[in-house]
Amino acid sequence: MEFFLSVGLDTLNFTLSLLLVTLGLVVIFGLMNVINMAHGEFFLIGAYCVIAIQSAGLPFWLALAVAPALLAVIGLLLEELVIRHVYHRFIDTILATWGVSIALKQTVIVIFGPTSQSVVNPLPGPTEILGIVYPTYRLTIMAISLTLAIAIFLLLYRTYLGLAIRAVIANRAMAGSLGINTRRMDRGTFAFGAALAGFAGAVMAPVMSVDPQMGVGFLIPAFLSILVGGTNSLLGAVLGSGVIGAATTTVAAIWTQVIAQVVVFSLAIIIIRLFPEGLTGRR
Amino acid sequence: MVASMTLGTRLSLLVWACLLAAPLLLDDWGISQVAQYMTYGIFAMSLAFVWGQAGILCFGQAIFFGIGAYLMALTMSDKLPVVAGYQSAGLLLAILVPAATGYILGRILFHGRGLSGAFFAIVTLCAAVIAEVVAQHWRYIGGFNGLFGVPPLRFPGENGVYLEPLQVYYLIAGIGFGIFILLGYLIRSPFGAILAAIRGNEARTAQFGYDTGSFKVLAFTISAAIAGLAGALFTVQFGFVSPALIGFALSTEVLIWTAVGGRMVPMAAFLGAITVRSVESVLSDSLGNYWLMALGALFVVTVVFAPQGLFGAVLSWRRK
Repeated sequence: MEFFLSVGLDTLNFTLSLLLVTLGLVVIFGLMNVINMAHGEFFLIGAYCVIAIQSAGLPFWLALAVAPALLAVIGLLLEELVIRHVYHRFIDTILATWGVSIALKQTVIVIFGPTSQSVVNPLPGPTEILGIVYPTYRLTIMAISLTLAIAIFLLLYRTYLGLAIRAVIANRAMAGSLGINTRRMDRGTFAFGAALAGFAGAVMAPVMSVDPQMGVGFLIPAFLSILVGGTNSLLGAVLGSGVIGAATTTVAAIWTQVIAQVVVFSLAIIIIRLFPEGLTGRR
Repeated sequence: MVASMTLGTRLSLLVWACLLAAPLLLDDWGISQVAQYMTYGIFAMSLAFVWGQAGILCFGQAIFFGIGAYLMALTMSDKLPVVAGYQSAGLLLAILVPAATGYILGRILFHGRGLSGAFFAIVTLCAAVIAEVVAQHWRYIGGFNGLFGVPPLRFPGENGVYLEPLQVYYLIAGIGFGIFILLGYLIRSPFGAILAAIRGNEARTAQFGYDTGSFKVLAFTISAAIAGLAGALFTVQFGFVSPALIGFALSTEVLIWTAVGGRMVPMAAFLGAITVRSVESVLSDSLGNYWLMALGALFVVTVVFAPQGLFGAVLSWRRK
């Protein structure tokens, strides 16, 4: 029983962490139809914000504000300099953002060095929940992720801005002719998606070793979550994160992390092949 | 005959003539360097064919390169039964097995209402990661360390001596030229026209009665075979293989060479690989960490503002 509970909690933890990374990606992909390969590096920069702030002797929680702000600025700049030129060339957005990710990763290496660094955990110590002792900070991450997902859901479905965003997703030309400024919407969305990634990076930094190569390790599961779940809804991202998270944790608990990666990636490829619209998509 | 050629064809032949004459000006080290760059160039041509002609963006091209490289290494270091030590069998395996892998992967992914565009890119990216992880943990093929001490090519025959760097150079150049001719022929053939039609509008091509899935699988298979051959040629020059050859990093590197050179024209991709690698060997010492930053930026600029690449417009076979 204890085994199942702890695997269950690990699954929930992994799923919600993955969801945290996926949120920014799904916002950008859903609204702008841009595959953002630089998302992993946005996440990376968010994590390195924590390192910079801690080594300056400032409190950890400050990073949760600085990281999204910095990434929003980076997102705005990139949208203006690069992304806006390739909107109409779908495949080229993959390549352009991929080039951006190489340059960003290398910038991080130049500034912080190639070795991995660790962050001081702001909430050390365990908490007992359901008879299982679990790290307090991991529980915090789960709470943050859940809150953020609900907040974005409310933003999309309960506000005027959300209505406008959904209008652009449904029919860009019509939304534009009804007076919605789609250009400003795109710019805002990309900055917001980047900020979400930076926030996720900052939140996750204390539970991992931060090194410049880790971006891609989060990018691929996040993409798979979106594709498995369905590309055009928040619900798809939640479901996809759940499938990927549950499969990874379960296989890793039975065998090893390496086998988990191979099995889950293969499984995801099969699901994507059989359901190109995602599990929540209409056939 | 020369008068009827396009400017692109003439320039391409001029490049080959320069490559033929290059060893006159180079020392042994330079010769082996350019031979390696040409091997990468052959690899880039394989990607340019499937990407530029059929419009399939493959993020896992190194899977085939890696399979070719590993098979050659296993054969040459006597780890495979029956074919052990036969270099021609190794080369053949390094073409056939990647081709079969490409065929099966293509059949699975393109069949029926198959994957395309971004989905295909992400799925092949995942496949490359899987291949790399498997190679890292498979002890028979060397695990993380890979396989060392693979002997170089010999002259055919019982007790053939090892090939000199100059001979290796001309062998690679010859194979590269052969593939250049082959791809040029395929692109101009009816098959190439159908691929171009699929690239332009797949639904419309299918409407005309073409089984577009099968043509894409065929293009993918040819591309995989060439990539595998490039991998085998890499192995016999370097003498070692490692999991880095089969995975994510090399897959994206070849994308950069191809995009920077010109994705639509195999010869441009070939030159793209040679150019990027040469510039890298000159600048990576002085620029250090800034080199990859510059390369990333160059890649973005090419993709956004010059989708034809540096050489694509000049080396095109088509008449204006």
